[in-house]
Amino acid sequence: MTAGPAFSLTAGERRQIDHIDELVALGAAAVPELIAAMSDPSWTVRRATLAGLAALGDDASRPLCAWLRDRRTSEQAIAAAVDALVGSIGGTTVAEVMMLLGDPRPAVVADAAHILGRRRAVEATAALGVLIDHADDNVAVAAIEALGAIGGSAAVEPLIGAIARKSFFRTFPALQVLPKTGDPRVIAPLAELLGDEAYRLEAARALGRTGSALALAPLASLLHAGGGDPMVRLVALALADLVARAGWNGTADRVVGELRRVIAPSLDRFIGALRTTDPQERVAIAWLLGRIGGASALPALSRLLDDPALAATATEAIQHIGRAHDTAMIEALHADDPAARIAVLPIVGSRRAAPDVSALLDDDEPEVRARACEALARIGETAAVPRLFELLGDPSPRVAHAAAAAIQSLGTAGTPALVIAALGAGTQAVRRQALRIIGTLGCDGAYDAVRAAADDPDRRIAELAVAALAVLEDARVDPALAELAAGPDEAVRGAAMRAIARRAGADAAALLARGTADEAAWVRYYACQGLGRIGQAAPLLIERLADATPHVRIAAIEALAHIQTDAAWRALCSMVGSPDPDQERAALVGIGLHATAAALPFLLAATASADAATRLIALSGLAARREPEALAALGAAAHDAAPEIQEAALSLLGERDDRAAADVLVAIALTSEPEHPAHRALSWPGAARSAAIQARLGEASDRDADVLVAALARMGDDAAITALFASLELANPAVRRAAATALIAIGAPGARGRVTQLASHDPDLGVRRASAAAAATD
Amino acid sequence: MPGLELSPQLFAIFSGLVEETSGIHYAAREREIFAAKLGAHVSDLGYDSLLDYYYHLRYDDPGGVERARLIEMLLVHETYFFRELAPLRQAVDSHLADVVRTRGRARVWSAGCSTGEEPLTLAMLLDDRGLLGQVEILGTDVSEQAIAQAESGLYGKRALRDDHPAELGRRYLSVDGNHVTIDPRLRAAVRFKTLNLFDAAAVRMLGACDLILCRNVLIYFRDELITRVIDQLAEALTPEGLLAVGVSESLLRFGTGLVCEERGSSFFYRRAR
Repeated sequence: MTAGPAFSLTAGERRQIDHIDELVALGAAAVPELIAAMSDPSWTVRRATLAGLAALGDDASRPLCAWLRDRRTSEQAIAAAVDALVGSIGGTTVAEVMMLLGDPRPAVVADAAHILGRRRAVEATAALGVLIDHADDNVAVAAIEALGAIGGSAAVEPLIGAIARKSFFRTFPALQVLPKTGDPRVIAPLAELLGDEAYRLEAARALGRTGSALALAPLASLLHAGGGDPMVRLVALALADLVARAGWNGTADRVVGELRRVIAPSLDRFIGALRTTDPQERVAIAWLLGRIGGASALPALSRLLDDPALAATATEAIQHIGRAHDTAMIEALHADDPAARIAVLPIVGSRRAAPDVSALLDDDEPEVRARACEALARIGETAAVPRLFELLGDPSPRVAHAAAAAIQSLGTAGTPALVIAALGAGTQAVRRQALRIIGTLGCDGAYDAVRAAADDPDRRIAELAVAALAVLEDARVDPALAELAAGPDEAVRGAAMRAIARRAGADAAALLARGTADEAAWVRYYACQGLGRIGQAAPLLIERLADATPHVRIAAIEALAHIQTDAAWRALCSMVGSPDPDQERAALVGIGLHATAAALPFLLAATASADAATRLIALSGLAARREPEALAALGAAAHDAAPEIQEAALSLLGERDDRAAADVLVAIALTSEPEHPAHRALSWPGAARSAAIQARLGEASDRDADVLVAALARMGDDAAITALFASLELANPAVRRAAATALIAIGAPGARGRVTQLASHDPDLGVRRASAAAAATD
Repeated sequence: MPGLELSPQLFAIFSGLVEETSGIHYAAREREIFAAKLGAHVSDLGYDSLLDYYYHLRYDDPGGVERARLIEMLLVHETYFFRELAPLRQAVDSHLADVVRTRGRARVWSAGCSTGEEPLTLAMLLDDRGLLGQVEILGTDVSEQAIAQAESGLYGKRALRDDHPAELGRRYLSVDGNHVTIDPRLRAAVRFKTLNLFDAAAVRMLGACDLILCRNVLIYFRDELITRVIDQLAEALTPEGLLAVGVSESLLRFGTGLVCEERGSSFFYRRAR
């Protein structure tokens, strides 16, 4: 984990905090003194105090509530008391706080509402619903926010009531929280507000945040309500939110299909609205155009490619259009702007486009030529191979490499002759690429030409030739490599070490061992690497750990990782504490390859490294381990501040198909915001994840039910759909409501009939109403 | 970690090295594009392993020559004449013209000018208003290659996009097949030099400027570095001097001491007197 800023405590603060710890140990008797400490001017001391009060649970709840009602000495202390009651572990805390809701002073009631909301106290829903009509606006807002935080069926109707009142201080906060309920009943009242100019903007954004296909038609109706570009931009922002949220709900495909139908007639207006200068709006419009647009949107999207802030979205949009419309894709290949050609080439996958792509091998822009090579390889256009050979001499290395890679990928019967010809007659650049191709594909009959190239005065040619020798099936290769390994040029000797290791012939170990004593550091480096590759000579490698050159030491460590002896293991352990991060990482990679218990502590310790690459290596080492500590470390890494660590940890957890890993993923998702990548990992299809989700449904709260059901909906396979139908039979009404809504939203076959039954027969009123709203509007 | 495949671990190692050397920040989502550029460069050098190349950079690169080459290869030189023109017109008409009127001369710095199209565009606008002789224009970039091209005054046809103002284009640019050449008089009016924006001493040496253009540059840096660069740019402004960033960029979240103001439909950050 990345270390945060260090908070330095004064000696006085340290003493006070120690004293607070002592007080907490005393229990109820210490509560008055702890409550007094809530007014301490030090933030650190107040934090410690409220943590202590929260830990005392019921012993502190009643006195804290009494203080909140009767004393309220300062804003800082009030904030501390609220936080302590939010975090309190007491069993009677909610009941104590709910008693404050009847207090005549609005400030006390508002604080109580905040506490109950932050505690997600479902039992307070009815009482909070009543407070929406409180005479004091602050109390009403606090109640609305609390209901939004608690969520669930019972909160929906009071919140809808708040919207209907059209009172500035109540309607706006309700608009913020209502979409998060995921309940289909919210659509109609939100849509009604679109007719009121004062609330139109917020209502539109709220409709977007519902993620519901039912919100598409009301939003589209705004396009016919006048308002010009600003209205189109507002709709675009709302629709982009809507589709993003639909992705979370597992309904993105269905919503986008419906979106295309509803919005397509207004496509030109969206293209025109790209004139806006607001980056957020432009991103939203570009993104939408990618989903609903065709060839006509490409010129406008291409113009965005020059703006660094929009280029990624525009590229993605162009590619999306290209994938959906073959003709548009081919049209984009002929766009005036090379940026558009660059954007679309990576998605070309149809042989139909081969002539158009081949023509781009002559494009003025090197990146276009390179991507055209890659596209031709992808679509298997073997007819382009002779032209690709010509591009091996392209002045742009990027193009030459792409051409070489394409030739390797296409691998036609004529390639060997062409490559030998290129090696013999091309420029040095072409010869280098020819040798790279031989080094990858091999080439019958090429020995003489390659061996001659190994003596070329151009060192880069010689090195590549030595590498190419390694793949040739010719009895003369091994003796030649032995000879080159003793030659005068250190680069060639280094290349020979690599080639010898690759061939792993009878004399390889001896030649490589000799190489570890070479005067040139890079020869020793490659010799160590080679010994690791063939898994021999641990003592020699251990000797190299004391080499004067750092990268030789690192190569020795990397090599030892592949040798399964006690001595090699001990050597790795000794290097993992190296002050050189490269040495530490190399040792850690090796330790991670050992599935022994002894490796675990090293890997766990490395997950706390300040260096992201080290943490990633540690996580890779932990990935397949079954110990609970390993799993816990992967789970903790899912909350790492660095997105790449988060992603890696979640990928590794998602790749496992054991129940323990799935349980960890469920736990992470249930405590994460909807944007967190854990939700995506949880919804990768898999029996263990499905089982882990289903196991939690029985006891799930309203919010948890939404999260778990959405994960099943995103999974979308037969097993997940079956699980969603099975959820309709569970005793937990929160799950039945969420599953009914989800099944309708994803258009599961048979859902409508089943949900209609729930609408009339479910024992829970909230489930009946939500089901009725969902089924009636499907 | 063999081969040229850029694993997340290798990406973390390389991107850290690049950021440490140049300030350019690559986010995890940019791994693919980073891998494509790095892979071609490393393969061209003859390495068959990215780690081997990394160790070369770390332990066998006296003077940081190869590091500099790597950074040069990674830099984005994508720009063109008349890009985001409205703020430039606004800066000339509502600011530089006043400065020249009041003080007789003005100074402009195009920070991160890449191959020079931006300061040259500004020179065209100034010449069009008859102010070029009274305004000193400096273009800087960290890339030696880019500055060399800027000094040559020769461009490819991508330097001129379809929607450019035709009259200005005709007057100051010659288009010949695939080449665009800038009017030598304008070329001579702009001084180019290499400069690393993170080199505080070098920035101080430039002196005070009435207008600093730093457009579509900050997006390549992490927030902490952006704050550092903005502070340096702010110090390099004269009182009432203006800083312009790209139209998609905003400095408001960085809590700069500069005052954000709208002129026409363009935003500038002004150093209060």
